[in-house]
Amino acid sequence: MSTRSLAAWSAAGLVIALSTSNPVYRGVVLLCALNLLVARGRRGSGTRILLVGIGIAGLIATLVTLLLSHSGEHVLVRLPGGIPAIGGPLTLEALAFGLATGLGLAAALLAVAPLTLVSQPHELVDALPAPLARTGAVVGAALNLVPGTLRSAAEIREAQRMRGWRARRVVDWPAVAVPVVLTAIEGSMTLAEAMESRAYGTGTRTHFGIQRWTRHDSVVLVTALLGAGGFLALVVSGGAPGWFPFPVLSAPAISVPALLCCALLVVPSFHVRR
Amino acid sequence: MGTVSFAGLHYTYPEMASRALDGVELELDSGLTLLTGASGSGKSTLLRVCNGLIPHFHGGVIGGSARVLGREVVRASTRELARDVGFVFQDPELQAVYPSVERDAAFGLENLGIARGEMLSRVDDALEMCGIAHLRGRAVATLSGGERQRLALAGVLAMRPRLLVLDEPLSQLDPEGAAALIAALHAAVQAGTTALVAEHRHHLVLERADRCLVMLEGRVTACGPGGWEKTARLVARDDPAASSELSWRLHRVHAGPAGVAVLHDLDLAGGTGEVVALTGANGSGKTTLLRTIAGLLPPLSGSVERSPGRIAYLPQNPSALLHRATVRSEIDWTLRRTHSGGRADTVLEEMGLTAVAERDPRDLSSGQRQRAALASVLAGDPSLLLLDEPTRGMDGAARAVLTAALARVAGRGGSAVVATHDPQLVAAVATRVVDVGEGVARDRRPLVGAPR
Repeated sequence: MSTRSLAAWSAAGLVIALSTSNPVYRGVVLLCALNLLVARGRRGSGTRILLVGIGIAGLIATLVTLLLSHSGEHVLVRLPGGIPAIGGPLTLEALAFGLATGLGLAAALLAVAPLTLVSQPHELVDALPAPLARTGAVVGAALNLVPGTLRSAAEIREAQRMRGWRARRVVDWPAVAVPVVLTAIEGSMTLAEAMESRAYGTGTRTHFGIQRWTRHDSVVLVTALLGAGGFLALVVSGGAPGWFPFPVLSAPAISVPALLCCALLVVPSFHVRR
Repeated sequence: MGTVSFAGLHYTYPEMASRALDGVELELDSGLTLLTGASGSGKSTLLRVCNGLIPHFHGGVIGGSARVLGREVVRASTRELARDVGFVFQDPELQAVYPSVERDAAFGLENLGIARGEMLSRVDDALEMCGIAHLRGRAVATLSGGERQRLALAGVLAMRPRLLVLDEPLSQLDPEGAAALIAALHAAVQAGTTALVAEHRHHLVLERADRCLVMLEGRVTACGPGGWEKTARLVARDDPAASSELSWRLHRVHAGPAGVAVLHDLDLAGGTGEVVALTGANGSGKTTLLRTIAGLLPPLSGSVERSPGRIAYLPQNPSALLHRATVRSEIDWTLRRTHSGGRADTVLEEMGLTAVAERDPRDLSSGQRQRAALASVLAGDPSLLLLDEPTRGMDGAARAVLTAALARVAGRGGSAVVATHDPQLVAAVATRVVDVGEGVARDRRPLVGAPR
């Protein structure tokens, strides 16, 4: 799957998740993104860590909304009024709105996650348009330095330990941090020299790798455009109603055309599993 | 007109008082030229003038005449010169721009705007010439140091340079990797490329070199090999005091990083007065073995014993340890942290660093930096000394200090383990050699007069 078609898909998912307050549509985006990650994610690419992180972010969004929004008729618990900001009633409506907010945040984050979890960094760099090619090469080179810097940090920490270093206080950390930073800077300088020595910045660059664009990529692009465009049109025309649980909690309204627009995001996963 | 033509060339780095190059006269036409000389003599500086990194990248004050392939270096930028001048750096880990082999080899061609069809054939040719065609499709991160360095050379050769400049390309390579790189270099020279190579381990290049130049204090002073005399034997193999007591022992140890065993069923031991050399190719597991002995890497199974006393460990990039404002304070820091009773002055004197004691260690030449790092590790009289590739990029003076330090540790009843692919260091100090490879360690004992 081309990184460019994947980027189009991510943009569509992001547009839908952020343009509605309706948790049903947000939920569909989230499920489509999860499905794609399961279908195409790379092993050891940090999917589990990312999912935990997104779960925590969603939970925090839910809690913040619950604690700060005191509207709604169904009171679950009442905190003492003397507590700044969070004191007062905590309502079922606020909890529902918090869950919808958390769901929206998780859906938006998961929509862009495949860009980093399915694609390699250099594939992202390659997918940048021509005017950004030089920037891309610099980004690619910088990304390439990261593993070396992490290895060097671990090595320096070990070696300083053997010299008697212990991380007891903040003032102990320069013994590790200073060499790590200086080594990283020296490494960056050498890489910059190496790039310059290999004619970087001479003129218009050509590309060794070619981004294969298949019929499947065209299908992904078209369905992403149709899904996001159609959903936006429905939102603007009132055909895809949002959801607001205040003052009384109610079930979110569902528009079948809007639901179909969201469901178009599942197309990349279907293709992979065939 | 020569390929390289320098006349009365002088150069001073920014914010430095003395000249790094001081009246260089040099004419190179073709073939392979070896450049030798001590650390800080100006070799790297001279090489960087060849492709314009000096003065365009580093700044500073340059004077005299420097013409490369008919172009005045001061007037032509590095990226312009890069069309005809290829440059390979010392550290193979810091040159890769992209994570896959073919892609990285093509980086220079992309910059030159070469059409993709031609790019493919040039990359193929360059990988073939460097003997790494079999690495196609591999991730750069999975390559050994020797493979990475050959990839760096391939990336440069793909650009079909008329002048090839290599700065200490062999310093981090095992003998096999070094031989392969030299063969690739020789093939390029046979194909008509002019090559200029700075290298401390110049005995490896000398056989293929058409001429040899020596740098001394910023000048090309003489021709001839010089400077790499066979190191005298410093640790007696038949020392009766040697190996009288056990210093460390691995019993049925399986070890490896991240829970994956790369070394299996090791039964090894070292005694006091011994200097054990660990040899083997890049990536064979020497560092894993050292870290296991040091206690930095717990064994996956089996047991590790160490006799009481301080353990000193020098990692592969020793200058990365340096974080204090002066050389003296680096040594003081170790003495303080290890609660040792030694004096910084003694260590400075032993390591030949008294003259630079108050200087920032990161401002020193690479050889002096190496010595400063060694001093900071050795301070406090460790009973077990573990060194990982300590001769990387070391000049003769730094090597002499290193071998003397190892001899001192062994002489006062300490023990040392040195991971190295430097046969001269092994010959000078090792009482025993352990070959590491294919997941096992083979104890090559006894050497002549090996300890009991």
